[in-house]
Amino acid sequence: MTAILRAESRQLVRSSLVLTGLLALLLAFVLAVFPGFAEEAALVEEAFPPVLLGLLGIEEIHTIEGFVGGYVFSIVWILFAGIYFAYVSAGMIVDDIRTRRMDLTLSSPVSRESVVLQKVAALWVPLVALHVGLFAVVAVGIRVIGESLDPVALAMAHLFLVPYLLVCAGIGIVLSVVLERVESAQAAALGLVFVLWLVDGLSHMDPDFEWVGAATPSRYVDPGAILVHGEYAFGDAGLLLVAFLALIVIALVVFVRRDI
Amino acid sequence: MSTIHMDGLTKRYGDVLANDSVTFDVGSGEIFGYLGPNGAGKTTTIRLLLGLIKPTSGTAAVLGADIRDRRALTERKAAVGYLPDSLGFEERLTGRQVLDYFARMRGDERRDELLELFHPPLEKPVETYSHGNKRMLGIVQAFMHDPQLAILDEPTSGLDPLKQDRLHQFLEAERDAGKTIFLSSHVLSEVQRVCDRVGIIREGKLAALEDIDALLERSGKRVWIHLTDPVDEERFVTPEMIDLEVVDSAAQFTYTGEYNALVDHLGAFDIANIEITDPQLDEIFKHYYGEDGSAATNHEEPVQTEAE
Repeated sequence: MTAILRAESRQLVRSSLVLTGLLALLLAFVLAVFPGFAEEAALVEEAFPPVLLGLLGIEEIHTIEGFVGGYVFSIVWILFAGIYFAYVSAGMIVDDIRTRRMDLTLSSPVSRESVVLQKVAALWVPLVALHVGLFAVVAVGIRVIGESLDPVALAMAHLFLVPYLLVCAGIGIVLSVVLERVESAQAAALGLVFVLWLVDGLSHMDPDFEWVGAATPSRYVDPGAILVHGEYAFGDAGLLLVAFLALIVIALVVFVRRDI
Repeated sequence: MSTIHMDGLTKRYGDVLANDSVTFDVGSGEIFGYLGPNGAGKTTTIRLLLGLIKPTSGTAAVLGADIRDRRALTERKAAVGYLPDSLGFEERLTGRQVLDYFARMRGDERRDELLELFHPPLEKPVETYSHGNKRMLGIVQAFMHDPQLAILDEPTSGLDPLKQDRLHQFLEAERDAGKTIFLSSHVLSEVQRVCDRVGIIREGKLAALEDIDALLERSGKRVWIHLTDPVDEERFVTPEMIDLEVVDSAAQFTYTGEYNALVDHLGAFDIANIEITDPQLDEIFKHYYGEDGSAATNHEEPVQTEAE
């Protein structure tokens, strides 16, 4: 029973390709300005006390590893891609209910659990498109600007983003089964992922409030650590996967019980 | 065993009882008409039967599966076809892609046969479809897996008369082949035309449940009478007369009492002309509802006052 997975996957192709294209352009531009930026960045790093730089998450930003890990991945992946996954998932269920497509889907011999799981599974499309597309852009871009980056480390940095993006999708799908309107679900998902990202960043600034950031998913993904130090945080990735599964279970429980 | 069995099926939305203890059976191999105006609760019953919404109390069984038993109901849906009142298709897909999608979920052994009767433009995206084309696509998806039970919510809405006839013929052929059809409608002639039995729902409650013929019989006779003198309403009108209209020496009404009493009563008058016929279903409908829900009481009250 994969009809929903197939249909949903096909629908995600276009937006995935558009987003991949836009982010690829953005990445290409950012990489193009890096050589000029690197000189300035070295001065910035010298001028600031090392403690503050660490708190801001800026680390070795004049090196390509620090730049890609701290800047590119943080903005492009953790913010933009995270928002996209939450936004797309937030529309998946509620939109079908509002347009009455769900009536016809559920008049077929398919369980509600299967509907949700197939829809979430269709996120493989943007997951693959973004990772393959942006990996290629960064790998090629770095070569073009005359820098070098360990492709294995880059690939691992990509891989460790997957659990984070799944958590964003989980947030979206929960909102999608709870809220009654497409617009509310999507706006809430987008806003929530953005706020969580912001809270994580801000919480680093004051040690008294750093614990607040522990509740944000972006705390558990650190591409910079992988690229600069080669540290793989398997525990954090596992935690994100558990959070994703918990969100899916919540979505299933709510969706199975509710009227549509 | 009945194909559909409803037992005290109740759905409450806040203060509104959309379905109020609805109880009846739909037998195997019949076309059952579920009649009522918009907002009476027809769609609520249908969505309860499909497990899309959950009953507040009571229950129902569809093809033997209790609607509260999700797993059993999901399994039985392979033998159910559903045509909703408002059709939600993925608008960007073509008609063919939509049918392919449903075929993957339920099968489509009768798709070609149905497309000979109902032919929506399959190569065009659904968003360009007229209301009638969407309805035809809906009919094809509802029947293409050869379901044992078809639940149709206002099936002919938006279809041109020719296609309506075609659908009615198709439904009769399905019934003769042993399939069960449960259709909701507010189109009375449609129900009269194809249904074997009718349930009339009013404000969430089942108001009547009869064979079409029995319903016509029980609903009395339509009487048109022309007297030689102007009608003296004090003398002429009885409580059994509803939908009464009097114009000078002519009167028109539906008589709901004993025929003998009617003939005896009319014998006291000098009759110039008379016509007694079966009522149309819309008149029966009015009998259960009133013109718009309130009209029935307006009609009946003065009659009863005069009789007292």
